[in-house]
Amino acid sequence: MKKLQEKSRTHSKHPHITNLMYLPALLLFTVFIVYPFLEGIRIAFTNWNGFSQHYDYVGFKNFIYLFQDKNMYTASWNTIIYGFGSTVFQQILGLSYALLLNRMILGRNFARTFVYLPVLIAPVIMGYMWYFMFQYRYGALNDILAVLGMDPVDWLAKGKRAVGLIVFVNTVQFCGISMVIYLAGLQTIPTMYYEASQIDGANAWKQFINITMPLLRPAFITSITLNLIGGLKLFDAIKAMTNGGPGYASHSLSTLIDYTYFRSQSAGYSATMGILLFAMILLFTLIIQKLSARQEVLL
Amino acid sequence: MKILKTCLLVLFCLVAGTSLFAAGQQDSDTTNLTLMLNFQSTEAVTTAFEEVISDFHSANPSIKIDLISGTSDYEALMKSKMATNDLPDMWSTHGWSVLRYSEYLMPLEDQEWASRLHPAIKPVVTDEKGHIYVLPIDVDMAGVAYNKTVLAKAGVKVETLKTWKDLYGAMDKVKAIGVTPVHIGGKDSWTVGNFFDWAAPAVYITDPKHYSGDDLVAGKFDTAKWELLAGLMKEMNEKGYLNVDNLTSTYSDSARALAVGDAAFTFYGNYVLAEAWTFDPDADLGFFPVPAYYEGDSPSLISGERSTVGIWKDTANVEACKTFLSFLAIPANAAKIAGSNGIPAGLTDAESDTGKLKADYKKWADAPAFPYFDRAFLPSGMWDTMCSTGAGILSESMSTTEAAEKMKEDFNRMYK
Amino acid sequence: MITGKKSLISKILWSVLTIFIGFFHFIPLFISINVAFKPKTDLSSRWTLPAEFYLKNFSYAAEKAKIILAVQNSLIITITSIAVIVMIGGMAAYPLARNRSRFNERILQFVLAVMMVPPLSMLVPLVTIMTRLGAVSTYWGIIVVLVTFQLPISIFLYSSFIRTIPGELDEAALIDGCSKFTIFYKIILPLLKPITATVIILTGVAIWNDYQFSLFLLQSPRMRVVTLAVSTFFAQSSSNLGAAAAAALIAVMPIALLFLFLQRYFIQGMVDSAVKG
Repeated sequence: MKKLQEKSRTHSKHPHITNLMYLPALLLFTVFIVYPFLEGIRIAFTNWNGFSQHYDYVGFKNFIYLFQDKNMYTASWNTIIYGFGSTVFQQILGLSYALLLNRMILGRNFARTFVYLPVLIAPVIMGYMWYFMFQYRYGALNDILAVLGMDPVDWLAKGKRAVGLIVFVNTVQFCGISMVIYLAGLQTIPTMYYEASQIDGANAWKQFINITMPLLRPAFITSITLNLIGGLKLFDAIKAMTNGGPGYASHSLSTLIDYTYFRSQSAGYSATMGILLFAMILLFTLIIQKLSARQEVLL
Repeated sequence: MKILKTCLLVLFCLVAGTSLFAAGQQDSDTTNLTLMLNFQSTEAVTTAFEEVISDFHSANPSIKIDLISGTSDYEALMKSKMATNDLPDMWSTHGWSVLRYSEYLMPLEDQEWASRLHPAIKPVVTDEKGHIYVLPIDVDMAGVAYNKTVLAKAGVKVETLKTWKDLYGAMDKVKAIGVTPVHIGGKDSWTVGNFFDWAAPAVYITDPKHYSGDDLVAGKFDTAKWELLAGLMKEMNEKGYLNVDNLTSTYSDSARALAVGDAAFTFYGNYVLAEAWTFDPDADLGFFPVPAYYEGDSPSLISGERSTVGIWKDTANVEACKTFLSFLAIPANAAKIAGSNGIPAGLTDAESDTGKLKADYKKWADAPAFPYFDRAFLPSGMWDTMCSTGAGILSESMSTTEAAEKMKEDFNRMYK
Repeated sequence: MITGKKSLISKILWSVLTIFIGFFHFIPLFISINVAFKPKTDLSSRWTLPAEFYLKNFSYAAEKAKIILAVQNSLIITITSIAVIVMIGGMAAYPLARNRSRFNERILQFVLAVMMVPPLSMLVPLVTIMTRLGAVSTYWGIIVVLVTFQLPISIFLYSSFIRTIPGELDEAALIDGCSKFTIFYKIILPLLKPITATVIILTGVAIWNDYQFSLFLLQSPRMRVVTLAVSTFFAQSSSNLGAAAAAALIAVMPIALLFLFLQRYFIQGMVDSAVKG
């Protein structure tokens, strides 16, 4: 490879002229991501309301308030619940489905199709579809309770329950992603491993622990990373199901940023929370990378 | 290729020619003004504005006014126009002439019509320095919106509802006939905040013996009073006066419940009546003043801006704009626009047609009117806290003390 | 043949479970379909199938939610964005995959880092900047932002794919006197078809389903995309859920149909993007 590159260098007058080809992409990143990011940091030091010509630089006031703001703690905690909660359940569901649907059984394709289909539906629309289930009046879930002779429940009226239901909806919608990743992972495991261990008299459980789990490691890392980042960014489903309510109980940082900017008209403080959200996701991503890298070394 | 070039050239000449010709047609002493309204073109009030503008044009041929009617994104549009300091010559301020738009508007208290403003609207559009930034053509007057059929069935007369105690009594009677007394559509969180805007004046403002208006303006927030107020919501919730799904239903559900007689009262402006009539045009609906909180005080109405016109302080045509506002302030014109909204005019000498609610407006004409509480007495940005603390009480995740503390904390933070 | 019987029973049980799982994930769609095909006056349970094939909700949704206009807007935005992403992404990936200098490695890392940026953390500055540019409620404004946020994944997919193309191809062409750009257009580009399908599917679905950027950058009702049209309609017509459900189904239909016909490609695309990560 090195040799080739050297060769090509001697052959072409402008060895890296092709680097020009990524300029358009870099230009877009600079104008719409890097520049806004820096601008966001600047706005975070102001008390700007989002539309006035006048604002003052207020130093670290927004950052100090950030740590006194109860709603920020609620939203941060919820963000973590949405991220990790969805991730844990998605792995459990995704892996179980993959193991089940890897068998040659009737209805396999049917199940695969309908487990994966929701992944392609806009989360905001999916949120509304589940709203038909959880509504107090005429809600499909309360219909079941009525048949069982129980009183109807206003499912989304309690903060903690609403957070749980949002995790549930997000999990059910996106466990198809994990399922597909694990299915692909399972198909890369040679069957002779299983055959060999069967000869050694290992039962199915032992096989799962000693063969399947270790060999699925890359699939785990991929799936967990995807799900976790998706969960931490959660926005659409919350907007559709509770709009952050009741009160502030089910806000994630994403929805709270939106709310603070458009509703409370505190653009400066909203930008400060934006930095917090960015830092949070960066932190978790780095942790995952560190952990997965160390695992590889251990292997 | 040549043919193409020739065609292009000809086309260019044509375009240039017509635009020059059009420019020549422009009378050099015609002033063009832009007026932006937050009302949609389908609303009757837009038609009324169009009629008045065409009359104006006959009277002042040298001033031409382009009316741009609003869309549902009017508020966002105006915010971005403010952010870029690129505003129309005139626009309507939908309740925010003082708090949000005053930075961009020209003070108009020196105009002739300023002396004729209706006492219910004058304090609403005046800032603390005494400046008035808009001509309020009408007054959005409101109280508790209610279903007359339900109350008749429950045997309640609204004239007797002087205090909250009376109102609670009425709610008991309504509950007894199996109807939800009060509907709140709390999934749209503004509906919760609106309750406080309706009930707060009675606690803080309307009773001279318990007046805290000056304290609030001076930056002093009385948490004990807010606890009383939040207590009203807590009590209604505990006594089962509210719809069970008060946190998960919407404003539209409230309007429907009011229309079909599923609920007796709602704490919204009279726009909820218009919304309810879309569900059932024959519903018998009305409004009455918000009951007093303290014994010996009297019920009051809530008043706010509806059709207002202000002038951009950087407009190039100040005189033309002022001429137009004076024309709008002619009683007959103001009455026409106010009548299209079905509400009283904002000028003392204009009498408008208030439609289905005529009898109610007449009945409560003498009730004192107070501005939207948060706009007049709380720092900007508190509205949101009102909504969220209220929802906290409804979901039983906040005590009234905690709600009041949170209100005070945000009050102190936002107070400038 | 006891074992045979046993395995048959277990097979049946597993099948029943499988089919149940399929149905379970179909519930929200099933309920929505029932709601959409029932008139407002039909107060039967949402679990029961509609008694008649009632289509008024759909016509009402088309008229009131302007769902057809929204589908048009979504199509314009999605198709244009995909075209731009494929062009810019493919171009950017070539040098990143072929000139493995330290600087280019940095650039690639930066592109990967951009993938992590939560859009909402940029909300205030992004909306402010777009307002200043006059890009709010314009096609180009929303397209440029969606393209920017979807580019990293496409660059990433393309560059890992180009790396699997042997360098000898480029070599041979260089010796024949082609310029580097010619190599890309004549040799590399035609080989990118399979991965382009993946890029189109992944970014296309993401853009069609986008809600957050559209919510902030498309404020004019004329510019509404399907997600916005449906959510606004839900918010306004909570008392006419049949029509709201109909609007939701209209918005979901195109993608669902595509998926049913091209299932293999969708799944393969997902696996490609994930496993290469």
